[in-house]
Amino acid sequence: MAVAAPQTRHAEHEGPPVRPTGRRRWTAGGWLRVAWIVPLAFLLVPVLVLALRHWLSYPSSPFSVLNPLDDSGWNDDFWRFAKQDLQPLITTWTVVVPFAFLAGIGGFDYWAYWISGRPTRPEDHSGHGARTWRDYFRVNTDHKVIGIQYVVTTIIFFIAGGLLAMFLRAELAKPGMQIVDPQGYNGLFSVHAALMIFLFIIPAFAGLGNYVIPLMIGAPDMAFPRLNALSFWLLPIAGLMMLSSYLVGPFAAGWTNYVPLAVQQPEGNLFFQMGVQWAGASSILTALNFLVTIITMRAPGMTFWRMPLLVWANFATSTLVVIATPFIAGSQFFILFDRVLHTNFFDAGEGGYPLGYQHIFWFYSHPAVYIMMLPGFGIVSEVISVFARKPIFGYRLMALSLMAILILGFSVWAHHMFVSGMAAWLRVPMMVTTMIIAVPTGIKVFSWLATLWEGRIRFKTPMLFALGFVSMFVIGGLSGVYLGSIPIDIHTSDTYFVVAHIHYVLFGGSLFTIYAGFYYWFPKMTGRMYNEALGKLHFWLTFIGFNATFFPMHWIGVRGMPRRVADYDPQFANWNLIISIASFFLGASTLVFLYNMLVSWRSGEPAPGNPWRALTLEWQVSSPPPVFNFDEIPQVVGSPYEYGVRGARHAVLNGAPTTQGREAAPMEESVP
Amino acid sequence: MASVAHAPEHDHHGPPAANVSSRVDARLLGIYIFIASEVMLFGSFFTAFFFARIIVPNETWPPEPFELPVYLALINTIILVTSSFTMHWALQSIKRNYRAGLIAGLTLTFLLGLTFLLIQAREYTRIGFAPKDLAFGSSFFGLTGLHGMHVFVGLNLLLYALIRSIRGHFGPKAHDHLGVEIPGIYWHFVDVMWIIVYVTVYVI
Amino acid sequence: MRRRAVIQMIGIGFLAGIVTGGVAFFIPWLPDQASEEAKAIDAAYWFVVIICAVIFALVAGVSLYSCWKFRAPPDDEDDGSPIHGHTGLEIYWTAVPTILVTAMAVFSGFALAAAEDLPDKHGTIQVTAQQFAWSFTYPELDRTEGELVLELDKPMQLVLTAKDVIHSFWVPEFRMKQDAVPGVETTVPITPIKLGTYDVICTELCGLGHSVMRARARVLSAEDYAKWAAGDSGDSAETTTGEGGDTSTEGR
Ligand code: HEA
Ligand code: HEA
Ligand code: CUA
Ligand SMILES: [Cu+2]
Repeated sequence: MAVAAPQTRHAEHEGPPVRPTGRRRWTAGGWLRVAWIVPLAFLLVPVLVLALRHWLSYPSSPFSVLNPLDDSGWNDDFWRFAKQDLQPLITTWTVVVPFAFLAGIGGFDYWAYWISGRPTRPEDHSGHGARTWRDYFRVNTDHKVIGIQYVVTTIIFFIAGGLLAMFLRAELAKPGMQIVDPQGYNGLFSVHAALMIFLFIIPAFAGLGNYVIPLMIGAPDMAFPRLNALSFWLLPIAGLMMLSSYLVGPFAAGWTNYVPLAVQQPEGNLFFQMGVQWAGASSILTALNFLVTIITMRAPGMTFWRMPLLVWANFATSTLVVIATPFIAGSQFFILFDRVLHTNFFDAGEGGYPLGYQHIFWFYSHPAVYIMMLPGFGIVSEVISVFARKPIFGYRLMALSLMAILILGFSVWAHHMFVSGMAAWLRVPMMVTTMIIAVPTGIKVFSWLATLWEGRIRFKTPMLFALGFVSMFVIGGLSGVYLGSIPIDIHTSDTYFVVAHIHYVLFGGSLFTIYAGFYYWFPKMTGRMYNEALGKLHFWLTFIGFNATFFPMHWIGVRGMPRRVADYDPQFANWNLIISIASFFLGASTLVFLYNMLVSWRSGEPAPGNPWRALTLEWQVSSPPPVFNFDEIPQVVGSPYEYGVRGARHAVLNGAPTTQGREAAPMEESVP
Repeated sequence: MASVAHAPEHDHHGPPAANVSSRVDARLLGIYIFIASEVMLFGSFFTAFFFARIIVPNETWPPEPFELPVYLALINTIILVTSSFTMHWALQSIKRNYRAGLIAGLTLTFLLGLTFLLIQAREYTRIGFAPKDLAFGSSFFGLTGLHGMHVFVGLNLLLYALIRSIRGHFGPKAHDHLGVEIPGIYWHFVDVMWIIVYVTVYVI
Repeated sequence: MRRRAVIQMIGIGFLAGIVTGGVAFFIPWLPDQASEEAKAIDAAYWFVVIICAVIFALVAGVSLYSCWKFRAPPDDEDDGSPIHGHTGLEIYWTAVPTILVTAMAVFSGFALAAAEDLPDKHGTIQVTAQQFAWSFTYPELDRTEGELVLELDKPMQLVLTAKDVIHSFWVPEFRMKQDAVPGVETTVPITPIKLGTYDVICTELCGLGHSVMRARARVLSAEDYAKWAAGDSGDSAETTTGEGGDTSTEGR
């Protein structure tokens, strides 16, 4: 594309930002403002809702049954009604309180200036860079800070989701009910899956992308830094919302939340509906930001065909997010309306079509599985090329196959509905498209293998995870092909075979690539090296624990164990016990990872700018990179993967081509 | 913490200017992508509507005994379409540095949009069915309500642009009236969407 | 040198193949085959298994071989050979999977048709699912029971529907599964070919009692079936729904 004149920005830098003092601390954006604005919103909502309902004289309003002359009314009827009618209240809370929080923390400050017509303050970059650990708890517009905020937040939700899985496995260790009741069990796997998908895998990729994409394409930041900050702060809201469903009893209709069951569930279900909206908004805004950044902010010479594959992968993923995510928003709005406004979108008795929900849901959620995989493909491409020290094999086809998956991904949603009783004619076409997706995916797998061929492979931790990913993902992908074949799916649908598939593609696939990414960019993000021995230990424990946990699930599934059951036939008792024990082992292996990350972040060896001798741009600056990434925008002159090609360069920085990176940046403060 | 070591030592002022690698302005591209996402949101509501209408067999549409106020809605459609033209005029005015035209155009657009919304609110109260009446009622209120929400958001954006144009913040250079252009693009989108909603829900 | 590499690789691939094949064939994967439909489904199953086992062995073989053969010595700083691609290979690994995938899809299509093919002369049973119990109505007998009783070798069409939420009918030994959706009628054909008692399992999450929503399916010989039809309910009058049976929906 044409290289236009550089964009000018206001550039008055005034050193560290001046923090307000005295009374103004309570009104300036930050936690103090949150501390009063959120409780205020919290209290205001019931007043508003109840007053409004009273005014509209809703028969079910608690005030309508309140007899002012009889104080026992307060005790009985009022509370009975109030409890029955928690739904409108909860819904309003889950809409209003997050806005109050965002306003409190300062997410809207700039726009508020703009709206009110006051002159907007010139960008003083006070929101850029982190000077102390406290800056990570503020609205910060630096993509590197936001990237780290994302990564840490998502790891916390991963632990939460993983611990739920541990309870789940503890319950399943023996037939019969031991530690939770059936509704509680259903809540466990629903919240487990919702956290893992919406608050771990998807945003973890967004966080890694946030950190490295501007660096990789030679940009000083993302296109919309304030929007970027806002997207991050939506995330803890969504996560806390899903977890806080435990206050009223967790949502328990599975992460798929099929109607009519979802409509019939207790209030906890609302937390899923609204949590998905906030998480979805976050990922749409981030995706938009990625797309605009990648399209408009590439360094001179960085044509599309010179972009690292991670950038390509995020480009494809972001397109998917922007197009598909509104469908899950819609599907959850329908349930919300059905529950709160008593609409009948899918009620067969009222002229609705119950399977309509599933079509809308899967039209998002199948593409969503590629949202959870394509960025991983990108990470693995980077890692394999660097550690095999070879150009990625068939670069163009690798990029094109991403786009092919993106397009095909929209044509297969009904393979989740083969036995649902949907229109029978739709099944075979969907089976064909489902299977065809194996072809572009296969191209990627074979190209990675060919990249290893005649390489000089170094088995650093990121590489181990990348190699583990390739083999485990192939198992998961092939079990996907089983499921894609209608006759086989008729038998295996909704059994533990599907649970095995899920975890082979999501754990062995997405999570392995996320681990690879965490280890690979850890030196860049923190300026310190992680402990290699612990990293390798983590890999092997995880690899073994993972297979021991999830491989037997294929078998018990095919033999006849349905999924989502709190209790099961005693014939599966032994295998379930083995699986549970293996899963505790797997969970414990995560401790090694956490320990390694925490300790290395505090006191690891200082990392050089380019410890992996990689060619992509993020490694050509110091670790961690300067606040504005590059002193001067680099000039890109070649492909990012020219390992072994004498004299080849990817880019020229500050007049000099660098492949070895600069000096290490010692750390001065650490995060507890 | 990541950048601790570097904060004090970077002595240049602000970031290097980013390279501009596309002819489309980032903010315009942003709003177009956002609108693509919005179109899909409407898509999901249309899908629900079509399930209720086509997949479930209906003898008549709208189902007995309900009726839709087609002509009232037509008047409303005309109002909204007109507002697109006034919006266009406002943008053209600022491009020619004609501020009075900008303010007048935005004010008119805002008032027309508000009229649309009020008429729709009145239509809702008189329409003779509620969101809970059949999947028909649900998807009718779903689609028109979703659109109404968008009109509401659009009105807000117009209001902000209006405030700023009264304060004289916009100018004729392409870079200086993005604050009018972007709400305008959104407003045209809301308008086109209404035509589609009108045709599918009321007319066909 | 090259020859040796090929032999080594084939060796590793062979080993991987043996392991994969062993897992695929020597573990008793499938439950008993108790219906005509199961034959078609198992055929598709084995067809796909063979293709997938070969693919996995290939991938595992190549990656293990590469890891072993191309590992860098400890202090090595060199790069690998700068191979950027190979159009021929790329065409191969696009075309061959396409062919395999097409083969699997076509085979599955035929298997599906065979499994769902029901002779015109067949009986009908009305199946109703509700939280958390099954009931089976035999129109010819004008009877409703809590268990599914089938006659050996007699094709049956089950017509499913649900009263409250979505449930799913599954008998692993019959291999057939079908959701029961409120307001929608779905069908599933079953032709039992083996005497015995099996479990009807609900496989679609339907609430608290989902895991205990089970019923019994009995396949009787022609004589026994006639006896049962004549009113001798045998030992099977009551439903086997378990404790969740009468707990109605929670909340709301
Ligand atoms: C990261 C997430 C992810 C990914 C990448 C995939 C990838 C695939 N999935 Fe999976 N899937 C899930 C996550 C994912 N899935 C989840 C979460 C569910 C359950 C949802 C729920 O109900 O809760 C599910 C459920 C699911 C079902 C429904 C099962 C059911 O409920 O009845 C089906 C059916 O077709 C399916 C198929 C596939 C296929 C064909 C692929 C393909 O994309 C795989 C392609 C890859 C390969 C095939 C391997 C590599 C290729 C080669 C080595 C080339 C050669 C291969 C051949 C020639 C075959 N998946
Ligand atoms: C990315 C996605 C992801 C990930 C990573 C996981 C991880 C795990 N999952 Fe999950 N799972 C899903 C996505 C995921 N799952 C989905 C989508 C479903 C379908 C839900 C539905 O049906 O609606 C599902 C369902 C599901 C089921 C089926 C439930 C059912 O159908 O009844 C089971 C059962 O074993 C299970 C188990 C596990 C286990 C043991 C882990 C482990 O790998 C977790 C390991 C991690 C930790 C344990 C946390 C961190 C560790 C520590 C803090 C150390 C301390 C802990 C100990 C020492 C114990 N999962
Ligand atoms: Cu009925 Cu599960
Ligand atoms: Cu899918």
